[in-house]
Amino acid sequence: MEKKILIVDDEAHIRMLIGQTLEELEDEGVEFLTADNGASALELIQSEKPNLVFLDVMMPKMNGMDVCQRVKKELAIDDVYIVLLTAKGQELDRQRGQEVGADVYMTKPFDPEVLLSKAREVLQLD
Amino acid sequence: MSSVNLKNVVGKKSEVNSDILLLAKELNIEVCIEDATGKLLLGTLLPDDVSKFPIKLDDQILGWVKGDAKAVIIANLVSHLAAKEAEKKNLGNEVLNLYQELNVIFNFSEKLAETIEPDAIARITLEQAMHSISSDGGIIVLWNDDKGQLEIPAQAGEFLFDKEKIRKNTSLLFKIAFGGQSEIINDFSVLREKGIIEAGVKSLMYAAMKVKHRIMGAIILAGNKDDQFSAAHLKLIVTLALQSSAAIESAMLYEKNIREAKEREEAILRIHEATKKFVPNEFIRSLGKNAITEVRLGDQVEKIVTVLFTDIRDFTTLSENMTPEENFHFVSSFNARLGPIIRANRGFINQYLGDSIMAIFPESPEDALQAAIQMQKAIRELNKERIAKGLPIIKAGIGMHTGPLIMGITGDESRMDAATISDTVNTASRIESLTKYYKSPLLLSQETQEHLNGHYKFHVRQLGTVRLKGKSNLLSIVECINGFEQPEYEKKLSTLSYFNEAMRCYREQQFENATMIFQQILALDPGDQTAKFFLENASRFMRQGVPENWTGAEEMLTK
Repeated sequence: MEKKILIVDDEAHIRMLIGQTLEELEDEGVEFLTADNGASALELIQSEKPNLVFLDVMMPKMNGMDVCQRVKKELAIDDVYIVLLTAKGQELDRQRGQEVGADVYMTKPFDPEVLLSKAREVLQLD
Repeated sequence: MSSVNLKNVVGKKSEVNSDILLLAKELNIEVCIEDATGKLLLGTLLPDDVSKFPIKLDDQILGWVKGDAKAVIIANLVSHLAAKEAEKKNLGNEVLNLYQELNVIFNFSEKLAETIEPDAIARITLEQAMHSISSDGGIIVLWNDDKGQLEIPAQAGEFLFDKEKIRKNTSLLFKIAFGGQSEIINDFSVLREKGIIEAGVKSLMYAAMKVKHRIMGAIILAGNKDDQFSAAHLKLIVTLALQSSAAIESAMLYEKNIREAKEREEAILRIHEATKKFVPNEFIRSLGKNAITEVRLGDQVEKIVTVLFTDIRDFTTLSENMTPEENFHFVSSFNARLGPIIRANRGFINQYLGDSIMAIFPESPEDALQAAIQMQKAIRELNKERIAKGLPIIKAGIGMHTGPLIMGITGDESRMDAATISDTVNTASRIESLTKYYKSPLLLSQETQEHLNGHYKFHVRQLGTVRLKGKSNLLSIVECINGFEQPEYEKKLSTLSYFNEAMRCYREQQFENATMIFQQILALDPGDQTAKFFLENASRFMRQGVPENWTGAEEMLTK
């Protein structure tokens, strides 16, 4: 089955940056999906069942925390790995991220190398 | 140019997939699109004998549009879309590079903020530069203005630089790295010849470290491959160098401030150490202050203290045979022996007055008496040395009195002095003078004796009363014999009761008895000068009779 990564951020350049960072995975058969808000992210997670989601926390309407909470806690979808992304040094967010069931927490500006190796690790690609 | 995945352009999930199929339908042709490997991306597979038109990105063939002649329109259209996609990807890559740079600078700033040590900043800078720019060896050179030498606070990777050679060729390094420029060096044969860089180095790049227009040094990276460094690398290393320079500059300023603050603190401490030699700490503490800086004009305190005076006998005669310099040395060495004894017994020297010392014992008269006894011993030891050198021996008198004393700060706002104002001081000084009169080395007032509160380890002889010149009150004088050298002390101790009895007879004008007892004492202790003094007085009174209104008190006609 094709491996899927969902990139969720309301800022287009961040979506593009993450896509660009992970570009080489495309050659290994990974499919990329994007969403620019929490509600479409939630829909895509349910319909497309991505293996990995890079989820921005600060988004209007439904934020990343709420999406994560809904997916992990309420819908109990546990075969999706959620990476929460937010601005550096928000210690409270980190705690809240754990509460809503995020698998890992990364800060922006993210280190592209770290992001790529995390994706490879989660998707079990060498 | 990045390569473009044709699947992303025309594949089923692409936005144009259905549009192309619609266009083909409108053109009334049947087409299919395959990628370069022959994998079908759009439409249904057509046999190999139909015409095919390449989808090109620059000179690269990404895939084929199969169909009749009109399919060339679709091939051109898709090529155009692929070119747009490639452009988008290139732009994306550039943004990603910038983002990566931003991330590097962000992390670097964070690390810089964690340290204030210049060498550590240099190490972090080099580490970051070598992490972000693929290089095989790196070094940071900094010019130390204070020491006037080149320093190498950081070196990393392979040993491609010879530190010793760098130091030896400072002027050459100056020409290159200290020009304030940053560049990729193409011709570094001179550096190789001088042995500054290893033979294997094929690429070299450096960035000046500077603050404003002051060149501090440079960060230099080396690579083992040709053309290892790009313009983008140069830009990044310049950014790192500038950030690092500012951080090192602040760190150095910080270090300098700390150093200067420490020096100031030490200077203050030295001043404090010096001032306490002029104004004793005990004096300041007695005023309830911790430091001389807290003392104000008019500060004063009154307390009961014991004031002790010492004075060198016949100092004038002694000093006549000395040059002023010898004289100064003599007094200094005498004072140097007595000062520590005073401090060891909780006293402090209030004043040096030429050959005499005035000391104050604020706690107990026992301290003063103990000090006086030790001083007598110290003078005897000094005399042994003087005898060995063929010098005349020194005799000193010690007198003390206990009473109220005001210690305070007098003078005016611009010239202050720590002063003691008290009749106790005058009395103590006069008692010291009496040591000449009674030919006794250590005298105290009865007030001092009373304040001793029964410290029986001190043995005293009552010498009667005196009326000091200009005073109406009588003063009882007591001699302490503990300070005499052992055999003399023992003789005086054994004759103590005779002496007291003789003094009783003397006061009661039984001069015959007194004379007899004093003679007996002198027979046992011929060196007892005080007994000799009273014997002479008693003999005189016997011969001449006592004056009218004789009270037994010695009338002092001089000070």
